Amino acid sequence: MNCTDCLEKLDRYVDRELTDAELNEVRRHLAECPPCEDLYRLQVNLRRVVKVCCDQGVAPEQLRSRLRQILF
Amino acid sequence: MVLVAEHAAETEQQDRFAEEAIGHLDTLYRGALRLTRDPARAEDLVQDTYVRALRYQNSYQVGTNMKAWLFAIMRNLFWDRFKGGRPEDVSLDGDGQFALYDTLRDPSAMPEADVLDRIAAEEVVKAVEQLPELHREVVLLVDVEGFAYKEAAEVLGVPIGTVMSRLHRARRQLQKLLYDYARESGIVHSKGDEA
Repeated sequence: MNCTDCLEKLDRYVDRELTDAELNEVRRHLAECPPCEDLYRLQVNLRRVVKVCCDQGVAPEQLRSRLRQILF
Repeated sequence: MVLVAEHAAETEQQDRFAEEAIGHLDTLYRGALRLTRDPARAEDLVQDTYVRALRYQNSYQVGTNMKAWLFAIMRNLFWDRFKGGRPEDVSLDGDGQFALYDTLRDPSAMPEADVLDRIAAEEVVKAVEQLPELHREVVLLVDVEGFAYKEAAEVLGVPIGTVMSRLHRARRQLQKLLYDYARESGIVHSKGDEA
């Protein structure tokens, strides 16, 4: 696998959307290619940071009460 | 007596549906906030989502992914109400090609992985909210909610390839937005700045 192939699969690798065979190929390439490994680490961190930062906060209590009246 | 029993069973089923649906409220509200970027609009959007879900609850198949079903209702409402129609009218996909490779050609455009941890949460949220809606909604579904590509494709009503290309572009935009912010706020210095 070359860098172009690896980058083409990187999103799917990060998102666990590859087949086992593809996954192993990407993993082998990353182990021997520091620039691709850097990009991989960046992608993983980006996904993690976005998740953590956007997954905060709860719905206002008034909204919850209104919905309970509508639903029940 | 049979009618009474039937009615009781219906009520129980209705309550189960309502309980499960309201269990997704915080998640939906956060998604609505990111989509509308406005707390009042987010509340309206979520309330309308639940009203519609209740009306069409027979179309929900028990045991399937209710969060995905609710998100599909919500994003359709969002596009109808706030964006004046179907998102396909506002295509950003262009030729659908992945523009993957310039990051490697220009290493200075790539922040180090741990730089992201030094950026405040509200700046990350702000960057997500700056993405075009078609890209933002994919980030919400895959990165924030953890939907598989197939599930996200079903919520959005697009092929998996479209999910992938939008996600890829969205992440590149996010990298750039956050890197620009990191430079402007002095969290990171580019080689050019040091010269």
